[in-house]
Amino acid sequence: MTESSKSNEDFAILPISIPPLPSYPVQATHYLYLRRNTPKIVTPDDSRSLFLANVPSDSTEAHFRALFAHIVGAGRFESIIFEHDKKASRASHEPAQAEKLAKHQKKRKREEEEVQAREEEAAAQLPDTWTRQIHQSGSSAIALFADEKSAETVLKAVKKLNKSRKYPVWGDGVKDKVPPLGSQWLKAHNKLSYPGNDVVQEAIDTYFTIFNKKEHEATLLAKRLRNEPDEDGFVTVTRGGRNAPASRNEAEEARQKMLARQQKKKDSMQDFYRFQLREKRKAEQAELLKRFDEDKRKVQAMKEKRGKFQPER
Amino acid sequence: MEENTAKRRKLSHADGDGVTSLEDPSAPSISAMGASGASAFVLETEELLRGQRLDYGKTFAGVDDTLRRFKEAIESLEEHAPLPIGDVTSTFEKSNRITIPYPEPKPKKDSALKLAFAKPAQVNVVGSYFLKTMTRSQSDFTIDMIVVMPATLFQEKDYLNFRYFQRRAYYIAYIAAGLRKSFSSTLDFTFDLLNGNSLLPVLLARPKNKPSKENEKPKPSQPDYQIRIIPNAPEGFFPVAKLAANCNAIRQGRPEETEQAKTPTPFYNTTLKAESTFSAYLKLLHRAASSCESFRDACILGRTWLSQRGFGGDLAQGGFGQFEWAILMALLLQGGGRKGEAVLSPALHSTQLFKATLQYLVSTNFHKKPRALGGRLVDIDTVLQSGPILYDSIRGINILFKMTPWSAASLMQQAVWSLAAINDNPINQFDSLFIVKANQPLQIYDLLLKVKIPASIESIDATDCRGSVLAWCDTLHRTLKKALGERAQSINIEVPKNTPWSLSGSSSKSKVDKIHIGIIVDPIKAAQGREFGPAYEQKKEAAKFREFWGEKADLWQFPDGQIKESLDWTEHVSSGYSGISEAIIRYILKQRLGLNDDDIEFEGRESSKAIEIAPTDKAAFDTVRKSFEAFERDIRDLEDLPLHVRKIDPIAPELRHASLHVPEFNSTGRLSRAMEVCISFEASGKWPDNIAAIQRLKIAFLLKIGSSLEEAKTEVKTHLGLESAEFDTDNLAFLDVVYENGITFRLRISSDQEETLLDRQTKDKTAERHIRTQAADLLAKFKFTYATLPLHTQTISTFCSRYPALSPSIRMVKQWFNNHKLSHYFSDALIELFVLQAFLKPYPWTTPSCAVTGLLRTLQLLSRWDWRDEPLIIESSADSLSPAQQTEINTRFEAWRKLDPNMNRTVLLVATSHDTSGVAYTRDGPPKVVATRMTTLARSATKLVKDKGIDLDMRSLFHSPLRDYDVLIHLAPKVLRATQTRPPSSQFKNLGLQTSHDALPLPEPPARALLRRLEAALAAPLLFFHGGETDPVIAALWNPLLHRRAWAARMPCSFRPVSGGKEEEGGEKLFEVNREAILAEIARIGGDLVERIEVK
Repeated sequence: MTESSKSNEDFAILPISIPPLPSYPVQATHYLYLRRNTPKIVTPDDSRSLFLANVPSDSTEAHFRALFAHIVGAGRFESIIFEHDKKASRASHEPAQAEKLAKHQKKRKREEEEVQAREEEAAAQLPDTWTRQIHQSGSSAIALFADEKSAETVLKAVKKLNKSRKYPVWGDGVKDKVPPLGSQWLKAHNKLSYPGNDVVQEAIDTYFTIFNKKEHEATLLAKRLRNEPDEDGFVTVTRGGRNAPASRNEAEEARQKMLARQQKKKDSMQDFYRFQLREKRKAEQAELLKRFDEDKRKVQAMKEKRGKFQPER
Repeated sequence: MEENTAKRRKLSHADGDGVTSLEDPSAPSISAMGASGASAFVLETEELLRGQRLDYGKTFAGVDDTLRRFKEAIESLEEHAPLPIGDVTSTFEKSNRITIPYPEPKPKKDSALKLAFAKPAQVNVVGSYFLKTMTRSQSDFTIDMIVVMPATLFQEKDYLNFRYFQRRAYYIAYIAAGLRKSFSSTLDFTFDLLNGNSLLPVLLARPKNKPSKENEKPKPSQPDYQIRIIPNAPEGFFPVAKLAANCNAIRQGRPEETEQAKTPTPFYNTTLKAESTFSAYLKLLHRAASSCESFRDACILGRTWLSQRGFGGDLAQGGFGQFEWAILMALLLQGGGRKGEAVLSPALHSTQLFKATLQYLVSTNFHKKPRALGGRLVDIDTVLQSGPILYDSIRGINILFKMTPWSAASLMQQAVWSLAAINDNPINQFDSLFIVKANQPLQIYDLLLKVKIPASIESIDATDCRGSVLAWCDTLHRTLKKALGERAQSINIEVPKNTPWSLSGSSSKSKVDKIHIGIIVDPIKAAQGREFGPAYEQKKEAAKFREFWGEKADLWQFPDGQIKESLDWTEHVSSGYSGISEAIIRYILKQRLGLNDDDIEFEGRESSKAIEIAPTDKAAFDTVRKSFEAFERDIRDLEDLPLHVRKIDPIAPELRHASLHVPEFNSTGRLSRAMEVCISFEASGKWPDNIAAIQRLKIAFLLKIGSSLEEAKTEVKTHLGLESAEFDTDNLAFLDVVYENGITFRLRISSDQEETLLDRQTKDKTAERHIRTQAADLLAKFKFTYATLPLHTQTISTFCSRYPALSPSIRMVKQWFNNHKLSHYFSDALIELFVLQAFLKPYPWTTPSCAVTGLLRTLQLLSRWDWRDEPLIIESSADSLSPAQQTEINTRFEAWRKLDPNMNRTVLLVATSHDTSGVAYTRDGPPKVVATRMTTLARSATKLVKDKGIDLDMRSLFHSPLRDYDVLIHLAPKVLRATQTRPPSSQFKNLGLQTSHDALPLPEPPARALLRRLEAALAAPLLFFHGGETDPVIAALWNPLLHRRAWAARMPCSFRPVSGGKEEEGGEKLFEVNREAILAEIARIGGDLVERIEVK
């Protein structure tokens, strides 16, 4: 989807007329660019989806449903995925050990297990604080249609529209289907930001049930792996032997102590021999000269900037 | 013998190398530089001197010739025999149309004095032209020519009763007539007073601005010079013994002859004595200049220093100019030490001479007790006078005789400040010593007032010939000083200066009828409402006290029975120290000097309208701080937390006395603003190894704290709020703890494990780039919130209690940033640092003691800060930054600039003692455009302050026109307020009151929330400007870098095909920013919040 083409040949331009608002009484036209979706990683739905560039920032699924219904009639449009939606939740929620082990052991989960895990994870999600997302200006989306033909019809209809110059109106017929923006939107956000302590508690509890389970599984797996050579005959060395490893803080402390000891030893040998003193003096002198040169350079630089040495009137 | 070893040879060779580079001709003084850091100062002053040196041949082309012809003309003037003064005046004035500038009182027509004219004994060029100590930045170049009148003209008793001055006036008028005859085609002649001394008229000759044929406009390089002809007395003519400071020399025409005879006339006497010492001082200076190589340079430095502080030889300018400076140095080269040894050595470098002279000025205390140079004071009575005394024993003159008590105090103070600057850090103090214009009353004084000179002062007996205005000011100064006492650190009076007048006119009466008074207050002492005088039992003092204060004085009995005289100003306490001081000044001037209320005008009072700062605000802040302490106790008292609380740090500006608005207590109407606090626990190994999981564990912790708190304290309600976080690894939630009185704390948890993991991720070379940058961002944010801000809060709170004016100044500067719509880009903490720096490095002045001064100083700092080329280094803790650290900061700054020369990411670098990286505070900091705008605004504000001076309307600094912006988004204030107010929780009013503190706090002010959303969507095409949550207008500029471009699937914002169908660049269609559609998007997102969008 992110693939960019050098020319706009294969993009159809769909102008959308934006009705004037009391706060901005100007009739504007927004331009939407459509193309067949040809992502680098092929998915089964590619043929019946369209790539839309430059979607308006306040777009919602309802907006596009209404828009395409206006162009090609109801029933063709299925859903839309915005650029922003895909980015969400990239961070891993696996415990560190599980992550490490996953590199060694590719375990296939059964289908129903996976579905259940996804449901659980959804329950552990924190509620959203906005009733409606705002998209970045000029961002893209992928619209999914009922079938390949519908997508084709849309592209054709857009071309025709360009000739007839009867542009669809943005936000026509979506009034009640989407949460409003403006002050109500902010008010809703104010409320949603405090979902209630019990709601959050529940989500967090679920989250840690999953997390702890994963951690437990990872420990078990590690235990098993400890004694199990892999296909090349190597045994993976993992944490959790008989002696607990030193904690990070203790290790850091020990290191500091060692460094301090080394430093002390070094210090006691300083300024001992005559040559050391001599060298020290020399270094000091060199430092002084260096500083003088630096100052000179600085003053020179200041001089180049006009007016630095003129007393203000 | 060691010389022969190989090692030694090698070493000495290396040393030799060092020496040769030391002998660089451009650095003649490295040996004199002393400690580190001084070299830059020396180099800078050398650069200054080079820039200040005049090319005499070029600047004064033809002047020598004119001077020679002057001399000839004066010497060839016709002599005449003595004639009675009445006759000679009338005939001379009639025939020449020149009014003889007799000093007041004018001679009587029938006076027996006979005037004559004789060839001058000597005509000489003296002064800075002769010594070549003129500087290029002088406003005008004056060449002094002295004409020594022959002794034959005078009689022994001429020192009495203005006789000498009358002869002198006639002499100068005669010369004027003669010169005008021969030079009137090329020169303009006017009379002026020498140093504003009404006894000493001089003749000014200035070249006429002749319209030259070659070039129409007058050459800008042609300086305005003038020749000043000064007649004076032959050396040693007058009896020094009869002109001591305790003698009276004006006995004529007084009704009470006997009493008048006793009143000493030190000013008259010294003026007379000074008349015959011109050549003596000329010789002194010449000798000094030839014996001490850098004397001239030091004179130029002194001259620059003095002129930047508004000092000059004129009576109105303080009476201490470059002449006095040069004489002082010349005398100090000869003596002045405790045992008569020389204070300055001729071997010193000019900067050292300068510093040592400053040091001398500071340490002598000459305005408190007289000092003599070049010999012992034989009889202290012969020099004693009311002003400062620095007595030159050899020439028998108090060289400071023109100074007033207040100008002496002011000079001393300036010297103290400058010395503090030099001793603090000589590297960066060059500007404050010589470059910055330091006599800006608004930058120095906390209280400024104009006093109308009453018409009746003409009748004030000005026996001493200083002029009636000065005599009156003397009384005024004494009265104010006594009345304000410790409340005022210093009181300065600016008197009007006289101007030259034409030959035929009469001496200009000062047209300005107002004098300006500037007062630096001691904010703590000045805020006291009740003042105590002597005890009742001390009858004499008490009577004096009563006499001075009149009916305002009353008796006050302490609980222990002690009775004291006292003054009650408590009714003015509500308006702070300024109100009290104003009341005192108004009262005492009326009481003692009979000035009415409308004769006195206080300036700068409008400032209070620009921002509401009440003296009671401090108490409000203290209360908030106390409630935080209570909150901290509440948390620490919780026993069922799984980990021990290590510390709870406040990070909200309200908790460091620095928020613009005083936190509110009442829980009516507006939602209370939550104050941010962060908490950290003891180290634990139980934190999970995953950042996302840590964030959720933090939520669990918050919930636990919340429930425990609610259990332990019934008056507390807690609400867990979710942040609008973009990533799962960012901080996800906070806990709002609402107390019954409406105070809300917003609690966030810091976890060491989170920092460790983020740090590891940032340094993980195997991770993907975007993950690393994201981790680095989060880490920076983490460090700023949980490490830098707590320390910052501590620092600012400490300094706020050390400097009472810091807190109001910070709030005023914040208001300034708000009004100019800059505050969206400058965090609270960053602005606080700017103000703090203005307080810590106040040079060339002292630490501000009022909010307005604090604001102006901060603006001055910002206007002078060249952030492109230098970082701002703030030594915010007691253990200041070591030079090595400073160098490190500078190196880092250079590295940043090399890495990002266009300043796309790092613009301002602000390093403090606890953040030497310099980027913590400006991470979300202003982009280049905004930083430039800040500098421009600060510069124009500073310029306004400098130009307008005391007449400045403070409101104009806060006024910001909206015409500079492309787009203005007017928000609907009503809707905004409605969004902010709590929704009615119940239909019934009585129920609503009960549940009022159950209501949810506000996660973020609505205007800011909207702006954040807009910015997330439209940061590419628009740069938004907004000033704080109450600003009803969001302004924006279009990004000029988004040009028309060819097609790309991923555009930075909404683009449209260029209309007109013109296909360019090989048939490719071009696209441009679809501005209307973008604005329509804003209108849709804003909905009813946006009232109207204005496009330029």
